[in-house]
Amino acid sequence: MATISLNRVTKSYGDIQVIPPMDLEIEDGEFVVLVGPSGCGKSTTLRMIAGLETVSTGALSIGDREVTTLRPGLRNCAMVFQSYALYPHMSVRDNIGYGMKVRGVPKADAAAAIENAARILNLTDYLDRKPAALSGGQRQRVAIGRAIVRDPDVFLFDEPLSNLDAKLRVEMRVEIKQLHRRLKTTMVYVTHDQVEAMTMADRVVVLRDGVVEQAADPITLYEKPANAFVAEFIGAPSMNMLEGHIAQRGDGLCFTGPQGLEFDIPAARVAALAPLAGQACLLGIRPEHTNEAEGGIGVAVDVDDIEPLGPHTLVVGHVGSRKFTGQARADTATRPGSRVTIQFDPDKLHFFRASDGAAVR
Amino acid sequence: MSVRDLKGKRGWLAFAGCFAWFAFTLFPLYWVAITSFKTPPDVVGGPTYLPFIDFQPSLNAWRDLFSGVRGEFYSNFWSSAIVAVSSAVFATLLGTMAAYALVRFPFRVRLVSGLVFFAVAMGGFLLGRDVLDFPPATASIIAFCVALALSVLVNRFNLPGKVMNNDDIVFWFVSQRLFPPIVVAFALFLLYSEMGKMGLKMTDTYGGLTLAYIAFSLPIVVWLMRDFIAALPLEVEEAALVDNVPQWRIFFGIVLPMARPGLIATFVITLAFTWNEFLFALFLTNSEWQTLPVLIAGQNSQRGDEWWAISAAALVAIIPMIVIAGLLGRLMRSGLLSGAVK
Ligand SMILES: Nc1ncnc2c1ncn2[C@@H]1O[C@H](COP(=O)(O)OP(=O)(O)O)[C@@H](O)[C@H]1O
Ligand SMILES: [Mg+2]
Repeated sequence: MATISLNRVTKSYGDIQVIPPMDLEIEDGEFVVLVGPSGCGKSTTLRMIAGLETVSTGALSIGDREVTTLRPGLRNCAMVFQSYALYPHMSVRDNIGYGMKVRGVPKADAAAAIENAARILNLTDYLDRKPAALSGGQRQRVAIGRAIVRDPDVFLFDEPLSNLDAKLRVEMRVEIKQLHRRLKTTMVYVTHDQVEAMTMADRVVVLRDGVVEQAADPITLYEKPANAFVAEFIGAPSMNMLEGHIAQRGDGLCFTGPQGLEFDIPAARVAALAPLAGQACLLGIRPEHTNEAEGGIGVAVDVDDIEPLGPHTLVVGHVGSRKFTGQARADTATRPGSRVTIQFDPDKLHFFRASDGAAVR
Repeated sequence: MSVRDLKGKRGWLAFAGCFAWFAFTLFPLYWVAITSFKTPPDVVGGPTYLPFIDFQPSLNAWRDLFSGVRGEFYSNFWSSAIVAVSSAVFATLLGTMAAYALVRFPFRVRLVSGLVFFAVAMGGFLLGRDVLDFPPATASIIAFCVALALSVLVNRFNLPGKVMNNDDIVFWFVSQRLFPPIVVAFALFLLYSEMGKMGLKMTDTYGGLTLAYIAFSLPIVVWLMRDFIAALPLEVEEAALVDNVPQWRIFFGIVLPMARPGLIATFVITLAFTWNEFLFALFLTNSEWQTLPVLIAGQNSQRGDEWWAISAAALVAIIPMIVIAGLLGRLMRSGLLSGAVK
């Protein structure tokens, strides 16, 4: 068990800096998920913690040990890879036990640890098989078993579920969370899938181009995104963004947007949004806070497609040049090609400064 | 599309074509085999093809061979076997280590340091031999060591000029095989006889021939194994690294088993070279460690055209390779990596 601390850590490949100075504190026993679009530096960050990538500048500690230049084997981390990375010539038992054998753990202790890990992971019946004779989910369990018997200070996962099919992914998600509750070991988990991030994490760290955009618990991230990038990245379907303008009107503020959209900003938010008066801004509306109806505050959407999901149907279209997704009743009669009014809840709106995308609330 | 899909006449045509080619390639082997069972009159009296029908087979040639009438046959066989197998094993192992290093770790060699090596080695040798009056072997060994140490040192400084990387090193390895072997064999013979004068007997010894074979096999081993190792999944080794498995155990316990099909293929190719090699053995050995190919080639000149005897000896040289290829071929099957990743 240990804390992890990144202090002005950077990573450059040649002249290209893929991680600008990064500060990140991970608490003891915390489940932290690094999430972001592909190529944003999640794996690089994780591999620097593991010691598989050198740190260009800055300092990295695990627990109270400074490990910046320590070789991977001495950091007492365990890592699970997207591609399983099992030893193909060894049985499941030997795969799980290899590290212990190398470290000279007594045979009886090793056997007990293997049995225990196999029981936790439902692998008891497969201990004598080779990895080639296992399914993808079982292979990933073997990789997790190999990590468990290490009894590490920190677990590192690099997209461990990305090679599994959707159903298995959901099951394994639950299993990894249970494992965390049981072991209470610090875990750092990398994924590009925001649903995985939201469902598993104590704290989600959203990365873009190596920069930490926001680090917060899932609900904060959803309700109070720090900027337009986080707002769009978290939540599915993602938040709608409309360009517009905030102006003073009497004592209050009013928003003017595309397609004649114009409404008064609720009185409760006027004080907070006053600095935006007279400025261009982005209006963020989550699809789940909309519905297809006339009247109220709404925006005219040109419908491109209809996506029935069962409980409700998504209306996918555009407002001017911006994509817009709204929610409609399951039995909606709307068809692609038409123009409908999508109403939204004025109390659940997000406003972002147009200049830098920062949220104003 | 495969030959199996061909129907009727075209299928038969394809079969006949394949069979003709099969017979064509196998006929020499058949010819050697039956010749070894013929008596001298059957060999010289015009062609005969079918045992028991055309001619009466006899075991005379084989009896002669094993009774040692025709030279130290056993001794040569064992020389061949020991030298061929051990040099193939060492070359495969060493070459695989080099290939692993060349795949996994980036090297940077400055052209300047290569030039320093060349200049110091040549200059030092000439200086030692002509000015300081050392024996040639002493001079070249000292010059070589000094040149190596100096060039390694020079490589550490940030000197201008081209920097060569792993691909260049591999090309340098392979380029050793671009020399005509006769040049190398001749140079080696000179070197070995000079070393003999220093009291280190190299000609006609196990060590001398084996070292020459290892050196001459290494380029091919490095070249072949580099591709096999590059195809191995890196994450598997990284998983072991994170698990605090020492580098040498990663190599022997994980990389070598994963590379097994490639290792065996490379071993067989190397063994085929060391078992069949003729030129080096001719130059570097004479009695004690003479190998089979030299013995067989010598048969003709020693005793005349006794084809029955030569055929028997040739078969003895061929059969071990067929057996080994048959045994190891099974182990060469791929698919060993499945389950490691994906
Ligand atoms: N060995 C490398 N050499 C150069 N650039 C690299 C190397 N590895 C990764 N990168 C770059 O670093 C960035 C981050 O990569 P990575 O951490 O793998 O992203 P991801 O968030 O998808 O895991 C990418 O833009 C990638 O192109
Ligand atoms: Mg990645």
